[in-house]
Amino acid sequence: MNKFLEIFLGILTAMGGFVEVGELVFSVNAGVKFGYHLLWMVALGTVGIIVFGEMSGRIAAASSQPVFYFIRQRAGYGAGLLTLIAANVASLLTCAAEIGGIAILLKLLFGGNYFLLAFITLIFLLLVVWFLSFQAIERIFGLLGLMMLVFVVAAFWFGPDWSAMGTGFIPNIPTFETSSDYLVYAYFAVALLSSIMLPYETYFYASGGIEDGWTPNSITENRFIVIIGFTLGALLSVALILNGALYFAPLLIEPQLPGTAAQAPAFLFGKWGLILALLGMFFAFAGAAIENALTGAYNIAQFFGWNWGKYRVPKDAPRFHFAWMVMFVLAALIIFTGVDPVEVVEYSIVFSIVILPLTYLPMLLAGRDKDYMGPYANGWLAGILGWAFFVLICIAALAAIPLLIITHGGRG
Amino acid sequence: MSEHHLDIVRQVLDRPIVDANHYNCGKVDDIEIGLEGQPKVISLLVGNDLTSDRLPEFARYISRKIFGRRRVKIPWSEVSVITDDIKLAKNADEYGLDERQGFIYEFISKLPGAWKK
Repeated sequence: MNKFLEIFLGILTAMGGFVEVGELVFSVNAGVKFGYHLLWMVALGTVGIIVFGEMSGRIAAASSQPVFYFIRQRAGYGAGLLTLIAANVASLLTCAAEIGGIAILLKLLFGGNYFLLAFITLIFLLLVVWFLSFQAIERIFGLLGLMMLVFVVAAFWFGPDWSAMGTGFIPNIPTFETSSDYLVYAYFAVALLSSIMLPYETYFYASGGIEDGWTPNSITENRFIVIIGFTLGALLSVALILNGALYFAPLLIEPQLPGTAAQAPAFLFGKWGLILALLGMFFAFAGAAIENALTGAYNIAQFFGWNWGKYRVPKDAPRFHFAWMVMFVLAALIIFTGVDPVEVVEYSIVFSIVILPLTYLPMLLAGRDKDYMGPYANGWLAGILGWAFFVLICIAALAAIPLLIITHGGRG
Repeated sequence: MSEHHLDIVRQVLDRPIVDANHYNCGKVDDIEIGLEGQPKVISLLVGNDLTSDRLPEFARYISRKIFGRRRVKIPWSEVSVITDDIKLAKNADEYGLDERQGFIYEFISKLPGAWKK
């Protein structure tokens, strides 16, 4: 394929795959509660995911060894196993949150029983991952997720206050009347950071690079795709915050269910606005569910030295294929227990940030290791930014659970 | 690193094992070392019984309860090449390390499309 077309498609795919259910819920509600004030957190999180996305892509391209090989070799079996369990629990919760989110969307689109729709979602996801190639999955869900751009158009249409928006991108703490409001603000700041820097993203990106057969020649291409694709993806997050601030806040609505967000484009563009928004969300959530299930399987297979990869004939990698099926089934079982899907979304985000340091530390250590990376080890920029973000996510990880409890999940 | 010098902890332990066809066979979970005379590597060990030993006590018990006590011994003489992987001289099934057996394989290999790329 033409190189430029490939990069262009890669950027669009990265953009369309940027938002998932947790990010959607927290972004819209951050806009409702705090207007433009938390935009800076989106900017910060985006730089963070660019730094670690670039690093994990580079690791895959330079060493063609998956990250969990490295984790087990360097951390040893015990600490490696702990990282594996933490990473997979986070992926499982996120996968469950996406399946719940999809079931809610389908209910809005077609009506029907929520549990039946969750079951249909499970079957759909199993069939898609079994029958489609890795490349097809990547493209289809990334590109069709771009229907969510209707939120960007809506954000413009509502006419944001550009200067207030500009100020929102500068780190700030607004003045509140009560101290609990400050804590809610902190909770949303931490949750937004977590939703953008979810742990599965870098694992998936690194294993996906190996699925796509990257070599050291792909490093520059990877850099372009990550920087431009994720920045454009962040535009979606910004747009969601603006939809919250400009449409839902004046109506005093705090959209808890993911589908509610579609009301904003529906209000502006009628039926087609609603359909585009819901379909865009459907593909974005389904893409994230698939990425999380595959990430779980990649991690386990790489840790235990099984044959892995969608590029292999399934009968030659039976355990790997069985593992992603188990991930989907367990995630669906969480939803079938009848737990509130909004709570699953919330816990998936909070749990993810708690384990983020465990996810990003091995990535940082692998990226700087010259034995492993050869001449492609982290330069000074990747090194400084990597450690700075590592400190930041450690602080966020320590604050996450206390904030969840004190603020009752952001409800004050 | 010279060919006479091999760091068995960094270059062998926890490394992936592949068979003669480069099919993955798991990881080096432990190494058996003979201490008579000159210490030397006798075999590579694979299996949950050995990795369980590397966990804290409570986790060891759970790990064995769930995943069993498998132990597979590969004589050091079967190792043909050491790069990032440990390559063995024969096929995976000759060592009992082929994952294409057991109930997971039976299930996956019966699904439509399991034999196609």
